[in-house]
Amino acid sequence: MSPASHPLLTLGLLTRRDTEVKLPRSTRVKNKTAAPIQITAEQILREARQRQENHRPPKQKITDSDELADYRLRKRKEFEDVIRRARRNTGTWVKYASWEESQGDLARARSIWERLLDVDYRNPTLWLKYAEMEMRHRFINHARNVWDRAVALLPRVDQLWYKYIHMVEILGDVAAARQIFERWMDWKPDTQGWLSYIKFELRYDEVDRARAIYERLVVCHPRPSYFIKYAKFEAKRREIARARAVYERAIDLNLSEDDVEAEQLFVAFAGFEMWCKETERARCIYRYALDHVPKGRAKDLYHEYDAFEKQYGDTAAMEDAIIVRKRKLKSDDDEEEEEQVRRKPLNYDSLLEAAYIWKKQKLAADI
Amino acid sequence: MEKGRSVHPDCINASNPYHECVEYCFQRIAESNSRAEEDETNDSSKEPEERIVHPDCINASNPYHECSDHCFKRIADLKAQIERNESVVSVEEERANQVEQNDDNVDSESGQPHLTEKQKKLFELRLKMNEARKANQMAMVAEKKKMEAPTETRGISKQKWLDERKKKIGKLLDSNGLDMSKAYMLDTQEKAEAKYKKWEKDPAPHGWDVFNQKTLYNAHKKRTQNIQCDMEAYNKAKEEDPEFYREASSLQYGKMTKTPEENIDRMVKELQDRDAKRKSFSRRRKFHEEKDIDSINDRNEHFNKKIERAFGKYTLEIKNNLERGTALPD
Repeated sequence: MSPASHPLLTLGLLTRRDTEVKLPRSTRVKNKTAAPIQITAEQILREARQRQENHRPPKQKITDSDELADYRLRKRKEFEDVIRRARRNTGTWVKYASWEESQGDLARARSIWERLLDVDYRNPTLWLKYAEMEMRHRFINHARNVWDRAVALLPRVDQLWYKYIHMVEILGDVAAARQIFERWMDWKPDTQGWLSYIKFELRYDEVDRARAIYERLVVCHPRPSYFIKYAKFEAKRREIARARAVYERAIDLNLSEDDVEAEQLFVAFAGFEMWCKETERARCIYRYALDHVPKGRAKDLYHEYDAFEKQYGDTAAMEDAIIVRKRKLKSDDDEEEEEQVRRKPLNYDSLLEAAYIWKKQKLAADI
Repeated sequence: MEKGRSVHPDCINASNPYHECVEYCFQRIAESNSRAEEDETNDSSKEPEERIVHPDCINASNPYHECSDHCFKRIADLKAQIERNESVVSVEEERANQVEQNDDNVDSESGQPHLTEKQKKLFELRLKMNEARKANQMAMVAEKKKMEAPTETRGISKQKWLDERKKKIGKLLDSNGLDMSKAYMLDTQEKAEAKYKKWEKDPAPHGWDVFNQKTLYNAHKKRTQNIQCDMEAYNKAKEEDPEFYREASSLQYGKMTKTPEENIDRMVKELQDRDAKRKSFSRRRKFHEEKDIDSINDRNEHFNKKIERAFGKYTLEIKNNLERGTALPD
């Protein structure tokens, strides 16, 4: 037999000849033009879906403990099979654990969670779900243990710390919450951690401790914006001398001129002095700031200085401020014009502009 | 033309490539130099040690302050006031004081007071009196402020401020014959612009970025707002526990504390609330019946939705062509 008609080599037990379909003569297509009414693919799909039946197993009511045990056994077997197939798929593990929890068997649920954490302990959501399960069923010490392990293994995940402390605080154990906060601060977290600690202390009106934490924050993250926060905290409690000391410390930081926050610091400091009704000091701060902050970054500063002089200064000082600002901003424009001319000597418009500016400068120098 | 021309670098026309300095230029340069020197002596950004400050001036503590005539006049007035109040000093001494003050003025300008022994002592006494008076006044003011708002815990001062503002706005509105609902009519254009700017929020994070650090922190803040602090229990615990302010390495950690049942109930209830809130995080989308079906079952439909989200905008052209049956000539 030829290879094409050999049954076992090609199509199993059928031969090629068997699979050929031969239409009877009456069914052969006679008219091959398009029919007047066409059906779309979408219509076919719609009809197919409408006529679909849901092939579900019938709903069974469990009547006695044997059937319940049977059901549970079946379900457990299914879950374990799925887990064995895809160990890293946390979704199936979580479903298994939640099902066991819904069945009320916490011991088994715990063992599933532990097995899962063996597989992947770096996923913070797993720790969260595990701890929340313990908390929901009022096992506080179990929950505390879980949180402690989570926070020891993943100390840089802020959410775990937040939730741990929140649980301990809601249970009323403020001293323990404080100890956990201290443990967290030893890791020198981001500012949000520090700020939540400060909020915690202020909730219980511990102002001195809050102040100490602000000090530590400012040592750990010496950025102007945190100095400003510290000073605002002191100002709100009407501790004006302390607030001023904080601002002065901030200025001593010797920020590089490129720092965006330097301008904000000066604006905030001057605003504080104005709030204290110390206009002389505010004026000095503005002058110092205008000398030290490069022009490009000082937009806000000029604006505030103008507003300040309009409010408190006499006309001479006000005009002085406006002239200083205009001159500084204008010299920016002048330099730009010169740059343009240098780059394209044939750019007649900018050339004429530059000439006009030069003439103005000459006249100004002559006066 | 370019090289070898005589140009003084300080000349204002130095940038002009065709300029050559003449005598007039040099004269002008010399003048401007002398003017610049004068300006420097009047410069206010001197070293703190070199500046002229009267120790009695109220701005003396400001490192950048320099006493001017206004300051000295003020100091003189203050001193005169003290003398009138105290009425200890005789008339001659008043005159002597004025002379001394003039001396002070003159001497302070040059930066070195030449006083006799007696005058020096008098001056120091006056200094002390002034300082004491100032300190008393400041302490009085601070105490008064502290007495006015004794318990300024979070939120209360803001409320008071809000009430005051409401009253002020109410008065203004009444004078203009407006209603409270039209309070916005009082805003200037700048204020209104500032308000509009506040409404422009950053775009809310979506997709994988929904639970970033900032949103988690905000969620925690919101959750802690609702904690009810039991101050009595707190104070009681403070008294009972010797190690109330624990360090991180305190050995009290892990010690079992008796938590009352109601606290546990509170915790469980809060958890249940959070669960309910979590359910409302994503809403169920509306099912459009009139939309074309391009799937053979539910799983396929879900898959098609995901694919549409990812590639929809790129395949729009192709889909339209297929619907039409022709490709448009480009």
